[in-house]
Amino acid sequence: MTRRFTALAALAVVCAAVEVVAGRGMSPVDVWDVLNGGGDATERHIVFQLRLPRLLVALGAGACLAVAGLVLQSALRNPLAGPEVTGVTPGAVLGAVTATALGLAGWESPLAVVLAACAGGCAGAAMLWLLAGRRHGDPAQTAVHGVLVSAVLGGFTAMVLLVEPGELGSVVQWLVGTTEGRVWEHWHLLWPWALLWSAAAWLLAGPLTLLRCGDDIALAAGLSVRRARSLALLCAVALTAGAVAAVGALGFIGLLVPHLAVAVFGADLRRSLPGAALTGAVVVCGADAAAQLSSRLLATALDSGRLTLPVGALTACLGAALLLLVVRRTPSRTF
Amino acid sequence: MAVLLAVSSVGALSLGTPYVPPYRLVAAVLEGETTLAGVVVSELRVPRLLLALVAGACLGAAGLVLQEALRNPLAVPEMLGVSSGAALGVAAPLVLAFSLPAAVQPLLAIGGAALGGGLTLLVAGIGRSPSAVLLTGAAVAAALQAALLVLMVMADQLDLQLIYRYLLGSLSARTWDDVTGMWPWLLVAVPALVLCAPVLSVLRLGDEDAQALGVRAQRARLAALAVAVVLIAPVTAVCGPVAWVGFLAPHLSRWFNPAAGAVRWLPWSAAWGAVVVAVADVPARLALAPVETPAGAWTALLGVPAGVALMRSSGRRRTARHGRAASVGTREQLSGLRKTAPVGADDVPPTGAASHAHRSEPGHGSPTLPPAGAAGTEDVR
Repeated sequence: MTRRFTALAALAVVCAAVEVVAGRGMSPVDVWDVLNGGGDATERHIVFQLRLPRLLVALGAGACLAVAGLVLQSALRNPLAGPEVTGVTPGAVLGAVTATALGLAGWESPLAVVLAACAGGCAGAAMLWLLAGRRHGDPAQTAVHGVLVSAVLGGFTAMVLLVEPGELGSVVQWLVGTTEGRVWEHWHLLWPWALLWSAAAWLLAGPLTLLRCGDDIALAAGLSVRRARSLALLCAVALTAGAVAAVGALGFIGLLVPHLAVAVFGADLRRSLPGAALTGAVVVCGADAAAQLSSRLLATALDSGRLTLPVGALTACLGAALLLLVVRRTPSRTF
Repeated sequence: MAVLLAVSSVGALSLGTPYVPPYRLVAAVLEGETTLAGVVVSELRVPRLLLALVAGACLGAAGLVLQEALRNPLAVPEMLGVSSGAALGVAAPLVLAFSLPAAVQPLLAIGGAALGGGLTLLVAGIGRSPSAVLLTGAAVAAALQAALLVLMVMADQLDLQLIYRYLLGSLSARTWDDVTGMWPWLLVAVPALVLCAPVLSVLRLGDEDAQALGVRAQRARLAALAVAVVLIAPVTAVCGPVAWVGFLAPHLSRWFNPAAGAVRWLPWSAAWGAVVVAVADVPARLALAPVETPAGAWTALLGVPAGVALMRSSGRRRTARHGRAASVGTREQLSGLRKTAPVGADDVPPTGAASHAHRSEPGHGSPTLPPAGAAGTEDVR
């Protein structure tokens, strides 16, 4: 187990290194120079004010989303319950967009964005709860209902954006999820929130592991199922909201990374929860590095400077492919 | 329904700035170019209303065809990646600044729609359980959406507004040119629709029975899907993916006459689609008055809850009707299925032998076929 953690941490370091050197405009040698204390003012600015915060935000957001996904899947006992398909992410986007459009939140009060995203995420989850009924029977049913909820929430977001068209340009990147142009302010906003709720998730790891076994066993073990589940849901929503407020709706991380983490670290959440955080960080960071590299290559190939590939697009494509694989590989299961 | 249609049509023609009182509408159209009201009504509002009706009818019919052919009450263009594909086909040349003749645009939309739908069905496999098909469709749609968002990030602010409005499905500023551009496609689609309607009602019986009746089920299903794509693509090319009309309209038509078959539902579904879009277009024009909101946002906001409520309530009605006959145990066992397949679940015994149950289905006139049907057919195999 320790060896797996070490390997994953090494992978994270590699991804982080690639991420730091992947961007446009500087060669790896220059970056190395800067890190050793050399380089001119511009290069120092690029590395320390742009690339490092971007890297940290990517790592943090990936960890948040993955933990949120694992907590959701365990609490609802539903392998398809990522934040994207339970209405949490679209709700959080709606909350953040609404708050920005109403002028309640902005760059002056970044915490308000997080809180609004949190409220929106809760609303989205509550809508799904109403729609799917109290009985969370068939996982696929819930997922399909989640897609419906997402459609409604997307409609609301569209309304808000059309009333405030000035926000559109900055918000589109948010809708797909990007780490482009993230600076230290984002990181200072993200880490206390993420730390707080990750600690909460860590404290809930034991009860969640029991919940995975089913309500009856959890009850027999003396767990107050209802309270544990509500706390877990709140925790997941808060983590998702933090990540959404920082980087936007990164697709499919929260749905698929937990599966990866459970496959690698086993079903005991006390181990797989930090494992999921690490995996999520690695995946988002790697995807961001790949997106930067590929947009660099595409820009040279197509000779147009405009082209940037947001990391959210990459993760969505990756996640869609994985989801197809999962659905296809289990033909006998009716989900 | 006729009343609703008439009220929304008159409302669409007379409300707005300038307000034209209903009794003056005919006079205004006859005056034509001479007065302001005449120009506004005949050049702007009438084509818009016509477009709304035609688009709604196409989407409603296509929704019903998809739902019947895949035997899945949630098989809507949005969930199968068809709409996203079509939107991608239209948005790509706009952003990448290729100049294309207007006649090619529907072709691109058709290409995109066929790509999206084809990809979904190819990956999912056709005879699979409905939820698997839907999940696959959601994944394909997400991937296409991601591609679309990449395009949007690349676009500059003005293009972005245009694309965003288009993507939500807007009927604003459509003229006679747009309406006339749709006729050739309709000429292709309507006869095909009439031809495939009877096959649809056979497909509902399940693949086994359909084959026993001499229908090549897979081929018929592919044909039905092609018809649906041809119906959806020109609409999407002109006014964007007006969301969830294809979901709401078939459920409305089923809810109002549950005893009919697919052939009867088809015109009703088309009519309900037309009504839905026409009704949604009125608040779209007027709700936030100087700003036009896209009709697609309204249909998404109102259509999804309404459709789900209809699905549920028709399921409950059916349960009430058959509940006395069905044993309590069976109901308990099947209650999980009732969410997608609210109906007919009572008719189907939990194990295999679904074909017998389906044979009696038209008599009960159950609007949807349950996933148990698909699973049952597989079991028989």
